[in-house]
Amino acid sequence: MKSRVLIFVGLLVGMSLIAVSVEAVDTVPPLPSRFADADIDEVPDFQKHVVPLLSRLGCNGRACHGSFQGRGDFRLSLFGYDFAADFKELNNPDSPRIDTADSEASLVLTMPTDADIHGGGKRFDPAGWEYRVLHNWIQGGAIFDRDNVAKLTRLEISPTEIQFSATGEAEQLTVIAVWQDGSREDVTPLVRFTTNDKVIATVDENGLITAGIGTGDTHVVIAYDKAVVPIPVLRPVSKLAGRRYPKVETPTRVDELVVEKLRKLGIVPAALSTDAEFFRRLSLDLTGTLPTAVAVEEFLADTSADKRSNKIDALLETPAYAAWWATKLCDFTGNNDQQLVNTSPVRNAPGEIWYRWIEQRLAKNMPYDELAAGIILATSKKPNQSYIDYCKDMTELHGVDRDQKISQMETMPYYWARREFRNPPERAISFAYAFMGIRIQCAQCHKHPFDVWSKQDFAEFSSFFSGVVFGNTPVGADRAVYQNMLKDLGLSKLRGGELRRELTNKIRAGETVPFPMLYTRGPRKVDENGRSSGAVLTEASILGGDVVRFERDQDVREPLMQWLRSKENPYFAKAFVNRVWANYFNVGIVDPPDDLSLANPPSNAALLDYLTQGFLDHDFDIKWLQREIINSRTYQLSWQTNETNQGDDRNFSHQVPRRLPAEVTVDAIAMATASDQEAQRLHAEMKGRAISIASSSERFLQGNNPSTFGLMVFGRSTRESSCECDRSGDPTLLQTVYLQNDQDIYRLLDRRNTGWLYQVSQENKWAFTGVGRVSNSSNSTPRKPPANYEQLMQSLEKRIAYYRKQGNAAALVKSLQDRRRMYVQRFGPPNSAEKENVVAEDRADDNSNDDKVARQVPGADEIVKQAYLRTLSRYPSEQELAKCIKYINESEDTINGVRGVLWALVNTKEFVVNH
Amino acid sequence: MTIHRTCDGVRRRDFLQIGAAGFAGVNLAGYLSMAQAGELAAAQGKNAIFVNLPGGPSHMDTFDLKPDAPVEFRGTFNPIKTNVAGIEISEHLPKLAQCADKYAVLRGVSHTLAAHRLGSEYVNTGNRPVAALEYPGYGAVVTKELTQSSKTEDVPPFVAIPRSTQRAGFLGVQYAPLNTGATPRPGQPFSVRGVTLGNGLTVSEVTKRQNLLSDLDTVFKKAEQNNQLLKGMNKFDKQARAMITSKAAREAFDINREPESYAKKFGTTPFGMSCLLATRLVGAGVRFVTVSYGGWDTHRDNFTTLKTRQLPAFDEGLAALFTGLAEKGLLESTVVYVTGEFGRTPKINTRTAEGGRDHYPRCMFMLLAGGGIQGGQVIGKSDAKATAPADAGISPDDVAATFYQAMGIDHTKEYESGTGRPITIVRNGTPIKQAFA
Repeated sequence: MKSRVLIFVGLLVGMSLIAVSVEAVDTVPPLPSRFADADIDEVPDFQKHVVPLLSRLGCNGRACHGSFQGRGDFRLSLFGYDFAADFKELNNPDSPRIDTADSEASLVLTMPTDADIHGGGKRFDPAGWEYRVLHNWIQGGAIFDRDNVAKLTRLEISPTEIQFSATGEAEQLTVIAVWQDGSREDVTPLVRFTTNDKVIATVDENGLITAGIGTGDTHVVIAYDKAVVPIPVLRPVSKLAGRRYPKVETPTRVDELVVEKLRKLGIVPAALSTDAEFFRRLSLDLTGTLPTAVAVEEFLADTSADKRSNKIDALLETPAYAAWWATKLCDFTGNNDQQLVNTSPVRNAPGEIWYRWIEQRLAKNMPYDELAAGIILATSKKPNQSYIDYCKDMTELHGVDRDQKISQMETMPYYWARREFRNPPERAISFAYAFMGIRIQCAQCHKHPFDVWSKQDFAEFSSFFSGVVFGNTPVGADRAVYQNMLKDLGLSKLRGGELRRELTNKIRAGETVPFPMLYTRGPRKVDENGRSSGAVLTEASILGGDVVRFERDQDVREPLMQWLRSKENPYFAKAFVNRVWANYFNVGIVDPPDDLSLANPPSNAALLDYLTQGFLDHDFDIKWLQREIINSRTYQLSWQTNETNQGDDRNFSHQVPRRLPAEVTVDAIAMATASDQEAQRLHAEMKGRAISIASSSERFLQGNNPSTFGLMVFGRSTRESSCECDRSGDPTLLQTVYLQNDQDIYRLLDRRNTGWLYQVSQENKWAFTGVGRVSNSSNSTPRKPPANYEQLMQSLEKRIAYYRKQGNAAALVKSLQDRRRMYVQRFGPPNSAEKENVVAEDRADDNSNDDKVARQVPGADEIVKQAYLRTLSRYPSEQELAKCIKYINESEDTINGVRGVLWALVNTKEFVVNH
Repeated sequence: MTIHRTCDGVRRRDFLQIGAAGFAGVNLAGYLSMAQAGELAAAQGKNAIFVNLPGGPSHMDTFDLKPDAPVEFRGTFNPIKTNVAGIEISEHLPKLAQCADKYAVLRGVSHTLAAHRLGSEYVNTGNRPVAALEYPGYGAVVTKELTQSSKTEDVPPFVAIPRSTQRAGFLGVQYAPLNTGATPRPGQPFSVRGVTLGNGLTVSEVTKRQNLLSDLDTVFKKAEQNNQLLKGMNKFDKQARAMITSKAAREAFDINREPESYAKKFGTTPFGMSCLLATRLVGAGVRFVTVSYGGWDTHRDNFTTLKTRQLPAFDEGLAALFTGLAEKGLLESTVVYVTGEFGRTPKINTRTAEGGRDHYPRCMFMLLAGGGIQGGQVIGKSDAKATAPADAGISPDDVAATFYQAMGIDHTKEYESGTGRPITIVRNGTPIKQAFA
């Protein structure tokens, strides 16, 4: 089913129309057919033919000559785009691979045709077209003009879209290169074909796409020269695709766009989520906070028609909203405490200022581009401010009422202060990740495999970042001022760590101290190895695109920021929109959200474009974007699947269960086990909340601080490597062990003043006791037992055995057992007793309890309901209620029964999995 | 579902297929194995113990003495003979000298990172650290490669006593160690975070709760087949329950179960106790155990610190580790890898009257033992003043490759980093043949 581009040439009336295929007239046929004849004497082009052929033959593959060490002393550029370098290697005077005088003796011909001498084996036959192409090029003088690299205008690919209906169906692609000079050539045998999902479709090296066993949609990516083009391949999931598709509700534009794609696939969306599911999901996604039991009951009882959208509006105004999204923006911008060490005389202050500055502006809904500009265009000194006044300002910033001062800061400079992001290439990578959502780092070493960026593009882009410096000691005229300040403080003789310590003391005493500062200078050229050559830069292209010219000492970030926030910019708004979307679903529209590239197209381009355009039209209003997404029916769909959508995890036909992020999990456990009063407080104040921790790093998570263990186990972002993957959402064994048996969980369950369990015991006047109760001392390692411990325990055992045999002193037996338990808890088990004996006895005692009439704990149903509301944010079903009440009634003491229920609920998948 | 794309857009397997389809005789795996022909000997190591010495122990005062060097280099320690002819180590390591047949001393191990954190990352991963990503440490790789995912193991695969410098890096938190959080104390029960039942909790109580949990945790039943997250959580639930309630895990951590005759030689220091626990854990099936003994950063008063504080405990504990493993018959299957992040300056500084040594990565020592590593030998050589290797030198990458070979792990195998970039386990190292002689 080849689709051809046809031109109808209409002649005079009466004559028939002639359909002419454009290809036959203008397009040069592919290499293999041109070089099929042994006598061909055409001389191929180095850039257009020879290098792509080396790619196709695998010569410049990663494990072969494309390796950075090369092979056999011969190195080619990986992905074959560095023509100058490849040409140089081929002509290497020490060991030339080509011989224009005796072309057939060229190593590039003799080696790969002989498996005995070539480590890579026989790659092609001397009688084949590949040989002739290489040979003719050499014989033709091995010409390459590095100053005249041809520009590829576009690739014309047909068909432009493929639809399969059964496994094994095949479709052949044709790729035509259109060059700037107007020439056209069929380059199908020279391009690189890859599939983004081989289960749905495979593609061979000749561009034949074959339908796999999977249904759904993916892309086949074509790469040639600088171009990267994705071709969508679709195979409907059910027979309902297209005309047979049922009527589906699409109340918002977002829904229409989502369903448009689903219709093509024949995937029917899920039903709407229940109110309970919606409220829990919304609170966790939008504000990173588990709702209180009280709030859940209120929402479920509310009968107003627009309660969902009202709730969205209400939650947007809570402090948790700003705290959670500040955490996310700190992830993207890389707020890492280790990298901010020594950027201020006050430890940890930079990270906190960074976080608070963002949090404040999110709360008052500052437009995203302004917020970003505040970070990107940061300065230390205000315009025309003296160094001393700057230091005074900074000293005050670290004094009382810090929040007030932070709200007055126009810009936030610490993004540029990070230790490992001080050289231009590192900055470029971090910037591209944070504000453009692209992984530019691949292009640092070779042509980017997934987009058009080359090494040269990367180097030029890096040069934008050569003009910002963050230093402890100021330059220029300010230096003398700095030294005077040190003299006045009596610290002139100190250096390094000692100086820093003294400055910290001084600032604590309220004295003005010198502060490190960010300053700009004119940009410098950066070479391909990332080093600043010192030469002044007057213009640079942004990733091979728009060229920006600047003045000699201009802050080069200004034109960069202008480019970033312009309405035509393809990355800035789109990346943020996609990230916000990804917060509410298991994947972004582009996934992963930091990998916007040509080879990684969005699953729904129309949807992403619509939201991006809307974001721009509303002047980067973040709350508008939030509302637009979460008011859609698509966000509010159930996680329960139907026959058509159960295999879909990419097209938003249902919510896909996903694990809660680390901070949200840790906070949720605290919230679920908190008393009503404490839960209220946790909603109103962010103090003590994991979502209000400013910085993060590997060191922070691995450290000795006991409160970070949970965050580490659940994968809080380390903010180490400018990658979405610094945060983990995968399940692990340690997480399950943590939830089931960690000290943190027991401590939270059993805290007195702020715990729900204690609240229940007080309200019902029950003794706050039971097995597994954490003692007041948080010391988990038992103390050294007293000298007579063994004797003591043995006599205790004897007494317990005696009274149990008696059978009529159950209360006494129980108090002796409690005492034994307490000793075991405090000093560890005695050497004489095996834990198993204790277990057996407890079990025997439990059985003896069954002989009595089963207890009916009053109010147990209300307690179980409350337990469900505060953990799973819903009412229990009849069966669940019955099971839990039975458990409580059968427990040796009531509070321990309730404890068991609360423990179990926190350990369900339903608790920690957002659905 | 992540898309598996490698750097050149072609996965290795696809490349092999391309080769087979159109051309004769191309076999990439074959090509690479040609390069390493005959070097992947049958690996013996099934478990590993990694002894980390944060601070950077002085090589010239421990395993690489130079009694004939000038006085401002040589230091005040003298060498003593070991139970292997021709090998001499510090006089303050007498117990280690008596079991020198069990371990190999590597001298002249050389790199250029004289900072604690960077050097530590280097020796814990076998790759020079880069800013772009976090390499996984040996523990994470061993856990990933050697732990079968289908079996329910009663003990955690990777334990750190008390904490570890080994990071899971880009492999993800799934391969992070279980930190015990504390070192065991002699004669006392040892409480391990998350594994031990504390506060008087009994197995019966925990089992009751777990049964209730099974009854209540049913809402996702139908969705589980199609969802990797839920499947994973179920698997871990089974494993966690087994670990918490089973005797195997509790007893593995209970050093008081070791007979006195065995435990005696470890002494009572935190390091000794950690080594004792390490041998016990390895016997119980834990794949990778890290033990840490710090305090080696002797910028000042190098000799007194080593003589009185560092070396006695180190000597006792480590020698007991080697002999203990041998006694239990575990030395053949357990690779032991001992290292700090660097050595220390050969020229003694004058910060204090006695003098100290500063960071010096160019000529450090490492120890390897067990798992097929030939003990009782010196690998590598340093020059007359222990300032540089006397020959080509050994890089931490080479030692890492050797370690992996002993564990039967192909160090040229590739993983995908979080950004989809293919990363070789050890990019620049070659296994040291002499280690297996």
